[in-house]
Amino acid sequence: MISERLRRRGPLALVAVLLAFLTGCASDAELDTLNPQGPSARQIDALFDPVFYVAIVVFIFVFAGTFIIWWRFRDNHDDETFPNQIHGDTRLELLWTIVPTLILVVISVFTLTTLRSLNSTEANAFALEVDGGVTQWEPEVVVVGQQWWWEFRYYLNGLDGVDLTDARHLPPADIVTAGQMVIPAGEEIELAVTSRDVIHSFWIPALNGKKDAAPGRVHPWKLEADEPGVYFGQCTEFCGLSHSRMRMQVVAMTPDDFRAWIEEQLQPAAEPVEAAAQRGQEIYETQCARCHVIDGFNDNGGADLVSNAAPNLTHLMSRTTYAGGIFNMYEPNGSLDRTQLEAWLRNSPAEKPAYAEGRRGMPAMGLDEGQIDDVVAYLVTLGQKPSLDIIAATEVE
Amino acid sequence: MTETTTVDDVVTQPLGVYTRPRGGTGWRDWITTVDHKKIGILYGVAALFFFVVGGIEALLIRLQLATPNGTVLGADMYNQVFTMHGVTMIFLAAMPLSAAFANYLIPLQIGARDVAFPRLNALSFWIFLAGGIVLNLSWVLGGAPDGGWFGYAPNTGIVFSPSAGMDFYALGLQITGVASLMSSINLTVTILNMRAPGMTLFRMPVFTWMMLVTQLLLVFAMPVIAVALFLLAFSRLFGAKFFDPAVGGDALLWQHLFWIFGHPEVYILILPSFGIISEVIPTFSRKPIFGYSFMVFSGIAIGFMGWGVWAHHMFVSGIGPISVAAFSLSTMFIAVPTGVKILNWMATMWGGRIKFSAPMLFAVGVVSMFTIGGLSGVTHAISPADTQQTDTYYIVAHFHYVIFGGIIFGLFAGLYFWWPKVFGHMLSDLVGKWNFWVMLVGFNLTFGPMHVLGLQGMSRRIDSYSPGFGFELWNMVSTVGSFLIALSVAIFVINVIVSAMKARGQAPCGPDPWDARSLEWLTPNPTPVHNFDEIPVVESLDEFWHRKYGTDEDGRIVRVASAEEVCEDGSAVGVHLPSPSFWPIVFASGLPFIALGLIFNLWLTVPGGLLVVMAIYAWIFEPVDDPDAAHGDHDDHGGDEAAADTTEEAPVV
Amino acid sequence: MSDSATTDHATTTGMSHNKLAMWVFLGSECLLFGALISTYLVYRGRFADGPAPGDIFDIPFTSVSSFVLLMSSLTMVLALSALQRGDIRNNRLWLLTTALLGSLFIGGQVYEFTTFFREGLGYTTSPFSSAFFTLTGFHGVHVSIGILMLMSMFISSLRGTLRKEHSETVEIIGLYWHFVDIIWIFIFTVIYLVPSPTS
Repeated sequence: MISERLRRRGPLALVAVLLAFLTGCASDAELDTLNPQGPSARQIDALFDPVFYVAIVVFIFVFAGTFIIWWRFRDNHDDETFPNQIHGDTRLELLWTIVPTLILVVISVFTLTTLRSLNSTEANAFALEVDGGVTQWEPEVVVVGQQWWWEFRYYLNGLDGVDLTDARHLPPADIVTAGQMVIPAGEEIELAVTSRDVIHSFWIPALNGKKDAAPGRVHPWKLEADEPGVYFGQCTEFCGLSHSRMRMQVVAMTPDDFRAWIEEQLQPAAEPVEAAAQRGQEIYETQCARCHVIDGFNDNGGADLVSNAAPNLTHLMSRTTYAGGIFNMYEPNGSLDRTQLEAWLRNSPAEKPAYAEGRRGMPAMGLDEGQIDDVVAYLVTLGQKPSLDIIAATEVE
Repeated sequence: MTETTTVDDVVTQPLGVYTRPRGGTGWRDWITTVDHKKIGILYGVAALFFFVVGGIEALLIRLQLATPNGTVLGADMYNQVFTMHGVTMIFLAAMPLSAAFANYLIPLQIGARDVAFPRLNALSFWIFLAGGIVLNLSWVLGGAPDGGWFGYAPNTGIVFSPSAGMDFYALGLQITGVASLMSSINLTVTILNMRAPGMTLFRMPVFTWMMLVTQLLLVFAMPVIAVALFLLAFSRLFGAKFFDPAVGGDALLWQHLFWIFGHPEVYILILPSFGIISEVIPTFSRKPIFGYSFMVFSGIAIGFMGWGVWAHHMFVSGIGPISVAAFSLSTMFIAVPTGVKILNWMATMWGGRIKFSAPMLFAVGVVSMFTIGGLSGVTHAISPADTQQTDTYYIVAHFHYVIFGGIIFGLFAGLYFWWPKVFGHMLSDLVGKWNFWVMLVGFNLTFGPMHVLGLQGMSRRIDSYSPGFGFELWNMVSTVGSFLIALSVAIFVINVIVSAMKARGQAPCGPDPWDARSLEWLTPNPTPVHNFDEIPVVESLDEFWHRKYGTDEDGRIVRVASAEEVCEDGSAVGVHLPSPSFWPIVFASGLPFIALGLIFNLWLTVPGGLLVVMAIYAWIFEPVDDPDAAHGDHDDHGGDEAAADTTEEAPVV
Repeated sequence: MSDSATTDHATTTGMSHNKLAMWVFLGSECLLFGALISTYLVYRGRFADGPAPGDIFDIPFTSVSSFVLLMSSLTMVLALSALQRGDIRNNRLWLLTTALLGSLFIGGQVYEFTTFFREGLGYTTSPFSSAFFTLTGFHGVHVSIGILMLMSMFISSLRGTLRKEHSETVEIIGLYWHFVDIIWIFIFTVIYLVPSPTS
C-alpha cells in the first residue's frame, strides 16, 4: 500500500520508486506504522507524510549540493592559486536561518492541531445488555502492563469511582482478559494505561501511536479501528528479560459480535464434565490457582508474583494467543495447537525466559505427560473458540 | 611569572619525601605525565580501545538479530550486551575521543603551553579509565548492567535487576562523570584564561569555540546525571525509596533527571565533531569558514537550546499534552541552528578548490550523513509522529546517523587531519580513502535499513523477533553492513600500524602538510613538549594562514612566507614545564576499590579510601614544580577543583 | 603557582585560574543542588506510612542553626579582610570562628537527624525521607568539606605559612563557603519555610 499511496502523489515519483523499493517488501507487515487502520493513526500518518516529503526535498537539496561541489570544485592543490576568499554573506545566512524557521512554523501549526485532536476524546455510548438490562457503556478499557504480558479490564459501569492508582490491587472488573483486547469496530475506545511493575509501552501501530504504562500512574489514551480485524502490537518500552516476547493484539468486532463477546465473557466458567477435565481441574487447583484466576472456580485476589497478577483464564479459549501474545492457540484451520500448549505447560521457562525463580513468570510445574493431558482437557473447556476469521487473522504470514 | 629554573634543575633538586617524579622514560613517563599532549594521546588510545570493545558488542547484537529467533546471545546476555554497547560507545568511546582532541588541541589552538591545571588533567584521565574499568569489570563479577544505557527506573531497581550489573552502572558512570566534570572545568578555565596575546574570543578557531560550548554543557550537565546516579545507587545499595512506586516513588523522576543530562549530552558528543570539520573543511577548500560568527553563535544557540528539549525523549511517557506541545516546538526549532551549520559548511566548500583527502572525505561524510540524521530528527520532533516512531528501529537509525554519521565520521576526520601533528608522520591517504568508503557503505547498509525496520514496526531493544513481520531481509542487510564497518575500522588500524612502520627512521613530515590555518600548526610536527618556542602574538582569525599568505596589488592571494619560515622549529630549551606527578594515578586507583567495596564488601572501601586520601594529601604537599617559589604548601587548598598547580606562560630562557 | 600576586597579570581574564575554576565549579554545584531540591519538591508529599514533613520539622531549632550558618559567612568575610590587611592574628581568630560556627551547624544537623530517626523517619521510610536526608546530607557534606579547608588554613596559619600574599586562597575558600550558605538559604526556604504537608 505504500507504493500505492506514493503513486497517488505523483510529483515525487522518483522518491517513490526508491521508497517503494525500500519498503515494498513489507507492505503487509503486521506492525507497519505507515498503514493506518483507524482515525488516530491516520491523523498521525497525514502529519508524518508531508513532513517526510519536506525532509526528502531538503535531503535532495543537500545531496545534490554535495555532489555539485564535488563535481565542480575538486582540485588537486597542485598549485598555489586560491579561490575567492569569501568570509560570509549575512543576507544569505539570514535567509537560510529564516527559511527553515518558516518551514518549521508551518509544520508546528499542523503538529499542534494534530496533537490537540489526538488528545481529545468524544463522548460516545455503546448499548450493552448486562444482567438483562441495557447499559449505555462509554467504551473504556483499562490496560495493565506487567512482566511480560498485558491485561485488559472492562468496567461496564464506567470508570467513575474506580480507583486505579494501585495497579497491583485493582477493584474487581466485570471482564478481565489477557493478551488480546476486544473492541467494537468504528467506536472510539478510551484507554486507561497503567502498570503493575516496571514501565511498559502499549502500541498498536495500525490504530494509534504508543503510550507508556507506568506504575503508580494512569495515562489516558485512545484508539479506534475502522473495520473488524486483528491488529498487532508489541511492548515498546524496554521492560526487562522478555521485553521482546511481550506482545498483544486488538481484536475489533462488529457491534453485534462484540455484544455477543461481552455476553459470553460475563459468564463464569462452567464446571467440567469429562473425567479428564475434572482431573485437570484438580491439578489446576493445586498447582495453577496460586497465581491464576478462573471466575466461578477460584478468585484468590492476588498472585504469588512480583506483579501480583497472572492472566485470568476464565475464557482462555476465546483468545487466539497466549503467553504474552507470542503463541497461537489455534492452527489456521481452527484446531487447537496442542503441541505448543503442551510444551508451554511442560516447561514454560524454556519456551519464554521470564525469571520464574524470581517470581516474575510461570515456573515449570513438573507435570507428567498424563497430567498435562488432563490440564489441557480442562483448559479447552474454558471459553468458546473465536470465529475462524479471527483465528486466520492471527496468523503472521 | 619570571622563572629561570629549567626542567633539569627541578629534577636534580632534592624535594623531600614528596619528591616529584623525574619524568623518566617508557611507561613511567606515561603514568606520571601531566603534559596535555600525552594525556590527549592516552585519552585517544583508551577511547579507541573502548570503541573496539563497543564495536564487538555491536557485532554481537547484529549477529543475534541477523535472523528471526536468534540464539547467538539469548535474552539475558543480549540485554547486557546492548546496555554495555550504549554505555561504552557514549561514555567510554565518543566522549573520551572528543576529550583526546580537546586536550591535545585546545592549548595549541589558543597559544598556550598546557592546560590550566595539568595535574588535574592527568587525574581526569585516570579517573575516566578507572570508571571504564569498573564498568567492564561487571562482565566477570556477576553480570553486566542489563537495564539499558538509559536505565529507566523502576526496571533498574534491585527487584527487577537483581544482579550487581546496575550497581556497576551507577558507580562506574559516576566515576567517569567525575572525570568529565574535572576535565570540563579545567578546559573551560584554560580557554577563558590562557589565550595567547591577541587571541580574543572571536579569533579563536571554531574547534576551540565548539569545545568551549561542550565544556560548559558538561559543567552543567554532569551534576544532574550525578544526582540521578546517586539516587539509583542509594536506592539499590541502601534501600532508599526514590523509585519504589509502592510507596509513592515516581517512575518519571529518573527519566527527567536522565534526559536533562541526556539531551545536552547529545550536543556534548556532536559539537566537538562540528568543531573538527569546521577546521578541516576550510583547510581543504582553501577558503575561510563561511560565516564564522554564524558558526559560533549557532553553536552557542545549540548549547542553550539543548537544555530545553529533553522531554522529547518522553513524548509517550505520560507527561501532559501541554509539555508535549512545548517540547515538540522547542525540538523543531533546534533544527534551525543545526541547519545553519550544514549550509555554512556547504557555502564554505562552494567556490573553493577542494582537495578530497581522507580528512576531507570524512568531513563531507559528516555534512551529508548528519543531514539525514537531522532530517529524521525533525520527523520525530513532530510529537504525534514520534508516538509511532519512538522506541522503534527508526529511532535507532536516527541517532546512529547522528552519532556515527555525525560524530564518528567527524572524529575520524580529526584523526586523519591531526595525525601528523601528533605523531610526526602522515597516515596513508589512499588507505584512508578506502577506510572512508568502506565505512560509508557499511554505515549506510547497517543503519539505513533500520529506518525501514522502524517504520515497519520493529521495536528497539528486543532480543529476537518472529518471522513474518517483514523484518528478515533488512536485519540481514544491516548485519552484513555492520561487518563492513568492522572491516573499515580494521583498515584504520592497519593504516596506523603500517604508516608508523614506514615512518620509522624517517624524518618527521613537514610542519604544514595540509596548508592549514590555525595556530597549532605553528609548532613543528610532532609537537615538542613545550609546544611553542615563543608564545605567538595573534592578530587575526586563521593566524597561521595569514602569516603564510598575503595579497598582491590586484588583491590576489600570494604566498609571503613558506611554512618552514613561519613555523617554529621547536628548539627552545629550558622552558619551564610542570613536573610529572604520581598522585593522579594513585588517586584514581583508589576509586575502583571504593566502587567494588560498595557493591560487594564495605571493607574494600578502606584501602580505596586510604589511597584517595593519601593521594589528596600528597598532592597538596607535593612541592610545586618551582622550588624557588617561597610559597608552596598552601596554594592548593582552594577547593576541590582548585587543588592543582598551574603553568604559566613562561618566557623562553 | 596559583598566587594572585603572580597570576593576575598573566591570565587572559585577569582572574586567577584557581578563582575562575572555583566560579565554574560553583556553577556546576548549582545544578547539583538544583536536581536534589527538585527531587525533594517532587517527594515532599510522598511520605507513605511514615511521618510527614509537617509532623516532625522543628522550625525554631532549624532557624537557629540556619542563623549560625549565616553568621559564619560574616566571620568568613572578617577572616579574609583581616588577612588582606596583613592582620594574621585576627585572620586566625575568624578562620577558627567560621569553622566552629560551621561545626555547630553540622552538630545541629546530626542532632536533627537523630531526633527524626527516633521519631520514625529512617532513610528508607518513604520517598520523602530518602529525598530529605539525601538533600540535607549532601549539603552537610559540603559544609564539612568547607570546615576541613578552613581548618587546614587555620593550621597553616599556626605554622606561620599563611601570609598576606595567600589571601586569594582564603578568598576562594570563602567563595565556596558563601555558596554553601546561600544554597542553605534555598534549602531552608524550600524544606522548612514553605508550609509542609502533614499526615
